[in-house]
Amino acid sequence: MPHRVKDILWLAGRDYRNEWQMSAFFIVSLAAVLGPMMILYGLKFGIVGSMLTNLIEDPRNREVRPIGSGRYDSAWVEQLRNREEIDFIVPRTRAIAATIDLKSETASRIISVEMIPTGQADPLLKTQTIPQSLQQIVLSNKAAQKLNVKPGDEISGSLSRRFKGRSERVHISLQVIDIAKPASFTRDGAFTDLLLVEAAEDFRDGRAVSALGWSGTAEGNDKRTYPSFRLYTSSIYDVAPISEALGKLGIEVSTRVADIDIVRTMDRNLSVVFWLIAIIGLFGFTLSLGASLWANVDRKRKELSVLRLVGFRTGEIVWFPVLQSVFTAIFGWLTASMIYLGVSFTINRLFASQMDSSDSICHLLPNHFLIALILTLGAATIAAILAGYRAARIEPSEGLRDI
Amino acid sequence: MTSTAIPIDPQTGVNLPGERVLIYHLRDVEKTREAEGTAFRLRVPSLQIALGEKIALIGESGCGKSTLLDMLSMTLRPSGIGSFRFRPARGAEPVDISDLWRKKQLNQLGDLRRLRIGYVMQTGGLLPYLTVRENINLSRRLLDMQDDSLVDELAGDLGIRRHLDKLPYMLSVGERQRVAIGRALAHRPSIVIADEPTASLDPIAAERIMSLFIELVDELHITVILASHAWRHINRLGLRHLEHHTHRESDGSMTETVVSG
Repeated sequence: MPHRVKDILWLAGRDYRNEWQMSAFFIVSLAAVLGPMMILYGLKFGIVGSMLTNLIEDPRNREVRPIGSGRYDSAWVEQLRNREEIDFIVPRTRAIAATIDLKSETASRIISVEMIPTGQADPLLKTQTIPQSLQQIVLSNKAAQKLNVKPGDEISGSLSRRFKGRSERVHISLQVIDIAKPASFTRDGAFTDLLLVEAAEDFRDGRAVSALGWSGTAEGNDKRTYPSFRLYTSSIYDVAPISEALGKLGIEVSTRVADIDIVRTMDRNLSVVFWLIAIIGLFGFTLSLGASLWANVDRKRKELSVLRLVGFRTGEIVWFPVLQSVFTAIFGWLTASMIYLGVSFTINRLFASQMDSSDSICHLLPNHFLIALILTLGAATIAAILAGYRAARIEPSEGLRDI
Repeated sequence: MTSTAIPIDPQTGVNLPGERVLIYHLRDVEKTREAEGTAFRLRVPSLQIALGEKIALIGESGCGKSTLLDMLSMTLRPSGIGSFRFRPARGAEPVDISDLWRKKQLNQLGDLRRLRIGYVMQTGGLLPYLTVRENINLSRRLLDMQDDSLVDELAGDLGIRRHLDKLPYMLSVGERQRVAIGRALAHRPSIVIADEPTASLDPIAAERIMSLFIELVDELHITVILASHAWRHINRLGLRHLEHHTHRESDGSMTETVVSG
């Protein structure tokens, strides 16, 4: 009979409102458990979340860097490039041959920079223009500052070698097409087309580079091998399998896989800690609410028996403590959410200077609030079971007289 | 609500207007209670209460008044039942209460209570979280009855109209008892059962409220069963006394009350 339950809802609500001091006490004691729990989870979710975001967004965490030098040809690199787990790969020439001296008209100093071979979809140049020819370069932020140049400026590069007992120097005019983000490369560097790095190596080895008109011995590029490469996997989760695959080929690599593991382990461990605290808190709350509801049924025995006397059924009387428990759950959850919102706002303000603008240190998603509500309702219902059972056993005849 | 058709009692005859209709018809109903070596038994060899009758049950406490009232108000299961029929209105089918108890149809007994019976308790039994108006209207609300101004009329008759929007704690004990009477009558039950309704009042107030109560019951043609230990002013109200005799075993092991009427 649903309309009878509606009447019980009305009566339970009136009683709850009439004893508002008692109700407020329950609500506050629930919020005192639930609020800190939400803040704790918000902190865990916010901190670990932003660490994971940083891990995922920072391409350096996807880098697999070979240690030492090997001999890799273009075909081998090409074959790796086709693997799904690999986002970007480009061969490197010998590091010692991959430097270039740069001079601009707007700065007096000549600086020597490392050349980093790049190509389409270089994760370090995500939003930058990629050099398309021998004469286009992207400077690292530091190098651009030293040279006092901006995108579009022309600068001059020069290479020197000892060839047949003589010191030689060649010059090449370069166009700065973009400047990399400071985090992409922290030293003096220039992202260039692979061809320019190869040209520099050839020149230093005494070979001719016809495309740039540099003289030397015959060009013998057909059998070129590279000692190293730059490799970025598609996601942080591909780092471990790719390093393993390379390890099987005898290529030792260094990665940040350990850092990734640390964050993932921390996430797992913090979750365990959180749930331990949450279970203890909810358990304690359930017990104390259950005891109070039980005592409430005893205290209101007379009133409940009057309700039985005027015709409420056993199954309907049970709703009385259950509904009041549900009221406590809902209002307690609302209060806890309010506490959470206030505290998380303050925490985020305090830490705003240490965080990137988009990150918040204390953060919950809407469905976290929903889960908190469902858990609270569940605990409140469990708490009301004994009280409901006790209420159901009240005899209507008890209402007729004082006992 | 299931009701079992039973043969019509030859004494009551067919359902003709003006005919005496028995709201309660009990035969060989008893309740035994045992505690700590002493036993108490209430025996009702035969009890007939007609619609519209006003019954008084007078006696000291412990004589079994409450046990009888509980059985008549269908909240206490008799230990033994010959037959127990309840006919709430002229023209209504008699309900076999013994059958409902035997089949443990407690919810149907509850429905019967809600619809047909009004109660006046010793100390009001008002719900402290409802206003006086809501308390009086509670029995009507549970039956989804439309407002027909009876609540206001009752409040006027009982002299509590100015208290209608107050909570019970703001009222005196006597006023609360008036509210309780209002609640017992507001849904126009077939019968009102009152257990010591004026026990907590001073004698003068008790007499005034009792007279008012009986007046209202008369006016609304409601049957009433009233239990009280104070019989002096009850006599003046023209109630029918229910005879009962109590005897105790000399060793005190057994008390038996026999009620009939």
